Amino acid sequence: MKKLSLFFLSLLICAVASAETNKLNLFIWSEYIDPEIISNFEKKFDCKVITDLYEDSESMLAKIEGGGVSLYDIAVPPDYIVSVMIKKKLLAALNMSNIPNAINVDDKFVNPSYDPGNAYSMPYQWGTVGIYARKKAGQTIDESWGILFDPKMNAGSFVMIDSMRESIDSALKYKGYSINTTEPAKLKEARDLLLDAKKRTLGFESGVGGKNKVLGKGATFAVAYSGDAVRGMSEDPETYYFVPREGSEIWVDNMVIPAKAPHKEMAEKFINYILDPEVGAKLSDFNQYATPNKASLLLIDQDDRKNPAIYPSKEVMAKLEFVQDLGSHTRIFDQVWTEVKTK
Amino acid sequence: MSAETIKKRRDLILSSLTSGPGIVWVCLFLLVPLISVMAISFLTRGEYGDIEWTFTFDNYKRFFGYGIFGFDPLYPIIIVRSFILAAGTAALCVLAALPLAFFISFLPPRYKGIALTLVIIPFWTNLLIRTYAWQILLAPGSILSNLVHFIGIVPEDVPALPSAGAVYAGMVCDFLPYMVLPLYTSIEKIDWKIAEAAMDLGGNGRRVFRHAVLPQIMPGLVAGIILVFIPALGQYVIPDLLGGAKTVMLGNAIGQQFGASRDWPFGSAIAFFAMGIVMMGLWLYARVARKHGEEALL
Amino acid sequence: MKKNGPILTTISFLTYIFIYAPIVMVVVYSFNLAKYGAGWTGFTTKWYAALFRNEMALEAAKNTLILACSSTLVATTLGTLLGVGLSRYNFPGKRLFSWLMYIPLVIPDILMAVSLLLFYGLIRQWLGLFELGMSTMIVSHVTFEIPFVAIVVRARMIGLNPSIEEAAADLGANTWKTFWYVTFPLILPGVLSGALLAFTMSLDDFVVSFFTTGPGATTLPILIYSSVKRGITPDINALSSLMILASIVLTVLVQIFGRKEQERGSKIT
Repeated sequence: MKKLSLFFLSLLICAVASAETNKLNLFIWSEYIDPEIISNFEKKFDCKVITDLYEDSESMLAKIEGGGVSLYDIAVPPDYIVSVMIKKKLLAALNMSNIPNAINVDDKFVNPSYDPGNAYSMPYQWGTVGIYARKKAGQTIDESWGILFDPKMNAGSFVMIDSMRESIDSALKYKGYSINTTEPAKLKEARDLLLDAKKRTLGFESGVGGKNKVLGKGATFAVAYSGDAVRGMSEDPETYYFVPREGSEIWVDNMVIPAKAPHKEMAEKFINYILDPEVGAKLSDFNQYATPNKASLLLIDQDDRKNPAIYPSKEVMAKLEFVQDLGSHTRIFDQVWTEVKTK
Repeated sequence: MSAETIKKRRDLILSSLTSGPGIVWVCLFLLVPLISVMAISFLTRGEYGDIEWTFTFDNYKRFFGYGIFGFDPLYPIIIVRSFILAAGTAALCVLAALPLAFFISFLPPRYKGIALTLVIIPFWTNLLIRTYAWQILLAPGSILSNLVHFIGIVPEDVPALPSAGAVYAGMVCDFLPYMVLPLYTSIEKIDWKIAEAAMDLGGNGRRVFRHAVLPQIMPGLVAGIILVFIPALGQYVIPDLLGGAKTVMLGNAIGQQFGASRDWPFGSAIAFFAMGIVMMGLWLYARVARKHGEEALL
Repeated sequence: MKKNGPILTTISFLTYIFIYAPIVMVVVYSFNLAKYGAGWTGFTTKWYAALFRNEMALEAAKNTLILACSSTLVATTLGTLLGVGLSRYNFPGKRLFSWLMYIPLVIPDILMAVSLLLFYGLIRQWLGLFELGMSTMIVSHVTFEIPFVAIVVRARMIGLNPSIEEAAADLGANTWKTFWYVTFPLILPGVLSGALLAFTMSLDDFVVSFFTTGPGATTLPILIYSSVKRGITPDINALSSLMILASIVLTVLVQIFGRKEQERGSKIT
């Protein structure tokens, strides 16, 4: 009997001890963070990082709303989703005294319109949406969204992106409209374009999935995020990335802390860690996205700094639009997207 | 107190001790959630995707076609499409399962067990794995993909995957054992003397089958069809992986609303409709199973 | 009439090939050298080795086992009791409830998943319980496992020869003793079959887990799904092949138990 109680006591101690070990529940896009950064963080702060992945912003939001607000410590939503989350009171205010590295953030990203004063978010990476393509011998492709939407172009097999704003925005840009329009007539046109493209597409994939499909020669074109595309390019030089001439999206992903996060202080330490100049540089070197950290900009691989796929030229930048949260008008976008996916 | 009352009381006590916990659990975690789905289907979706406690029929209106953009039979089309897929799958399964079930039944007894186990093994393998495997089987450049193009089932420039055909392949492959097992049980119980008598009376093969054999395997056939049709109607994984997220069925539509679309009330309306169909199928199945022993399929 | 002709045999073999094709493909391609695409570039076992260094895969495997074991334990206990109770004792509403028990047999996974998600969400709002994670997944799994165990156990109970229990009662054993020392050992193979069934169902589940999971509770099927969505790679095939192996072993075990139990039953009666 004594042996048994001793055994259970030791089990209990172990259980309590493991509960004491610091934890961080990270909710992030797939292939977005260097596993070494995570293990370095774990060693530095004596913490266990548990990572869950998502493939699109709307599913991430759905998971947070559906209970994740008290489960995850860090999420990485894009700019317009941050405004939604703030309005829905899903985020915890950042304790800036825990994030001294915030001064490293480039002025362009400080005090953004979607989060005045950076009360709830800190920028993580930024990038563009475009087309990742496989070169076809002796063919010059018109770098346009027509690859998807112009049936007469017939440039090759393509994959569409399984993300609401990205898809609808590409259709709107093709027509020359703003990606933040709320006019039902224009959205109807976008819907029809998408439905028509759907008949000819190989399917809807996540950003990373589409990139991998092109890599695996399962498709010639895929709508992809800049960093994923650039990583694909280094694996296969026969591929390339471009922002269509009609224009596209520019986005900023941000680190946020859900309102009821179980390990808020550790989360703030994590944000601070990512904003460290060297860590930020290591991050961008890994995922090949653009860094919002002015100190990291000096430390990253300088070839990346000159890569127009990662850091677009002034002419391309002029054609890029930031996605904005459209408030109650999001309902129309939702309906268009549901129709596109369901028809 | 009469012996009858004593027995009744004893039964009640023993019931609560044995069946009690199980019943409470199933009611709490199966019945109550299904009822809440029904309840939520009458509520409204908040601006950003939460649930507002306002009673409305809007979700059902939208489901039957009257949404924001005017009349649009989007969901009725999905219902019809799902029904066709489920019915098609059931039909194909019957065609494929009949020969196999008879084959196993006609085997010498020592091989029957192995033959059955061979059918059951894939059945108990993860559906997800078996389904995504079709992506490999039908990938561009694979033997099967080339074969399908060569025969001409699929035109040259259209990939074999994702497609409705791929979805059917995945569905039949998955649901076949559900059909084989009940059919087999029924076939084992056939009284062959009736068929022999029919032959003696001069009937040809087809007539003998239709009038002497078929009626005897009806219970197995019906059970199999229900076991295939109902779950097939609400399939999520197969249309998702093999239809390229292009072919949306009832199951996918429901999943979408509870996921990225964040419209739980609307999703509940679709789910409640699907539930109604399940209940009808269930009632049919219970009737058949009670007559002929439900462990047939286990 | 009762012999297998050549046509029937050929069709049947083709059918067998059809249902095994996917499984075979997964196993074969787990040895493919190429990381992307469907072209075969060479044979290698490196993907299997890589699995054992893959933290996410190991973590998922651990979660899957915890989930399967815990849910099977609870479901077998409750299910056995339920099966015994339904076969022996009457109570008001028994007919209705038996009918209810068939729901998990035919209900599409997505309906179960979504109703549970909703239910947990509502309870969370009012009582703060049921945070999504391992506990919600275990509860969900138990829910669809109980009816299967109950049905199997009930069938075995009905198949028992009542004279044995009557004999025990005549010798002075009370209800509990009769059950524990006489009935239960007789239905034990059935109980074990039910348990193995429940365990396999837990391993196989994807949709319900997918919708009711939380951080740190990712299971193998969920991991495989997310990976497949990003593109099939041989390491996923390796992982899947191992799962297939586990399922095969379990299925064969269930079949063996089922047959042993039949022999036992026939020997006693």
